[in-house]
Amino acid sequence: MSVDALAAPKSRLSLRALIRPIASPVIAVVVAVIVGAILVVALGQDPITVYWTLIQGSLVGWPNLSTSLQYTTPLIFTGLAVAVSFRAGLWNIGAEGQMLMGALAAGIVGYAISLPAPLHVLACLVAAGLGGIAWAAIPALLRVYLGVNEIVVCLMMNPIALLLTGYVSTHLLKAPGPTNKLPDILDSAVLLNFSVFSQLNVGIFIALACCLVVAVVNAATVRGFEWKIMGLNPRFAYYGGIHVRRNAIAVFLVSGAIAGLAGAEQVEGVYKAYYDNFSPGYGFDGIAVAMLANSNPIGVIVAAFLFGTMNAGSAVLQMMTNVSKYLVQVLQFIIVLILAAQFSLSWWNRQRSGVEAQAAPSAKAEAEGDKAQGAV
Amino acid sequence: MISEIAFSAIRISTPLIFAALGGLLTYQAGILNIALDGFMIVGAFAAIAVAYVSASLTLGIFAGVISATVLAALLALFNLRFRAHIFIAGIAVTFMAYGLTALLLQGLLGQEGVFSSDRIPTFPTIDIPLVKDIPVIGPLVSGHTILVYLSYLSVPVVAWFLYRTPWGLRVRVVGEAEAAAAAAGVKVDRIKFQTMALSGAFCGLAGAYLSLGYVSLFAKQMTNERGLIALAAIFFAKGNPYWTAAVALLFGTATALSVRLPQITGAAPQLLQLIPYVVTVLALIVVGIRTTRLRSRHGAWRFEI
Repeated sequence: MSVDALAAPKSRLSLRALIRPIASPVIAVVVAVIVGAILVVALGQDPITVYWTLIQGSLVGWPNLSTSLQYTTPLIFTGLAVAVSFRAGLWNIGAEGQMLMGALAAGIVGYAISLPAPLHVLACLVAAGLGGIAWAAIPALLRVYLGVNEIVVCLMMNPIALLLTGYVSTHLLKAPGPTNKLPDILDSAVLLNFSVFSQLNVGIFIALACCLVVAVVNAATVRGFEWKIMGLNPRFAYYGGIHVRRNAIAVFLVSGAIAGLAGAEQVEGVYKAYYDNFSPGYGFDGIAVAMLANSNPIGVIVAAFLFGTMNAGSAVLQMMTNVSKYLVQVLQFIIVLILAAQFSLSWWNRQRSGVEAQAAPSAKAEAEGDKAQGAV
Repeated sequence: MISEIAFSAIRISTPLIFAALGGLLTYQAGILNIALDGFMIVGAFAAIAVAYVSASLTLGIFAGVISATVLAALLALFNLRFRAHIFIAGIAVTFMAYGLTALLLQGLLGQEGVFSSDRIPTFPTIDIPLVKDIPVIGPLVSGHTILVYLSYLSVPVVAWFLYRTPWGLRVRVVGEAEAAAAAAGVKVDRIKFQTMALSGAFCGLAGAYLSLGYVSLFAKQMTNERGLIALAAIFFAKGNPYWTAAVALLFGTATALSVRLPQITGAAPQLLQLIPYVVTVLALIVVGIRTTRLRSRHGAWRFEI
């Protein structure tokens, strides 16, 4: 595993190596589209019309496109948050809860404090990041110091966050009126909206900037390298002298902060107040995005755009055809299921080890490395 | 008042107990099965759709069980054959099931959010002859539908299979020491597949009870994270069937109270709904502290999933 696997990527700069990271997402998307078409036919509808409506309703024309971008923004944040943790071999699936806590924090700071405009926006973002960090710290500390499975803790933290924010927004700090929400945030805290057709706002640039920062950290810093090694093989990382525990907590907190920013973008840019139960599951879609992007921060942008357009198109689909918008959800998670499976990779490796019979041990070690990477 | 809450707690806990039994079988075999909600929703939908078409409850229950088992087999196939991470595959299957049932709800039954019909028969309640005359317990225990009794009777059956049969021994060995089990000649993947399929069957019963027995309607995402609460009960009780069922009953009672108490006192329902999750996290913390103390601080490697 050790030297072979680390040296391997350099020695494989062939066309195959370039195509390979893109190949499996593309195959997964194609398979999902085919399965979806079969479903649509089974329901007695025309798949071509359905897919055309989906594409037209999300991409053709600036109003539709800007709506798609609006739906893309939270997915970039949550997808990036999940991707950061997946890459380091940690399963932060609590992005939903962290986002809700971030949104609540941004919502409270947004109306309770008055500051000049740029400072107020910044204060809200910081509050949201801290909210996400606070919520991510619980599974992180339990994981690192008590050895508690973070998946289970994250699973429990999500509904806890939903119920707590629900309690705050329906009882403690509820705005007067019939709607369950906090009071509207002040104008100074609003993220500038630059489209009249949708709630697309400058938050998308913050999201893109986050992706770039993470990409640079991943590619050019010691921390990024350490996180990658932790993801590939935590034991190796530990014996190689990496502070695994400290880094694991750092990864979780960074992940939580990014997820919290998703909440800030929703509150400050889209809804202009914290609404109870506002999220249709952006945190869980984030898992799908991270899977599709193979935990690559730049890939997250592409994957989030794909899923964002699908979500935006699904609303049009619901209006224009007899097919439910949930077709899109089925497609999205078929993609995840296929990507989670490793039959393409294991097939590939069997081919490779067949060809390079002499290099069997190293091919096997690579296969194990791939497995770790694929699982991540 | 109190007896009314207790009666509804027994009913509300039924799907939780079914799902928890299904989940604990996979838990005992060492699989973190988080797709309980997905199995349940598919079971609930198939049950009500078939019951609506055929006007038969038995067929409905069968359809629920079979469809949930098929979904479980799909998850097991991806996990065991294609080596998908159980957790990612589980989430994918769950959300796929949510989406698929909502899609079919509109596509097949022509409803967008909720489906119910007069054609769907309701379960007759069963009065147990002698028990119903016992002063306090009688009215609580008697007068439920068949699936309620089935769920509570399944608990000792599952316990018997787990702790008193060779198959149960194999399941537990696979869960505790997979490599050792394989070395001893146990077909690990087959055992895991069997527990997963059974998990699907139990969740199918849970779903069928939800849509046919409990309310006689189907709503999208109607499982309302019951699978997660069942999972919480399993983790809290560390997979012991009796304790798991007891904890599920406790969590069900909390749910029943969260519906009733706010109507009387005006308290926030959220705070009672929090109980299962918070209690489980606290239990995990306690277990974590205990195991950390047991192990040497420096010797044991604790950075693996």
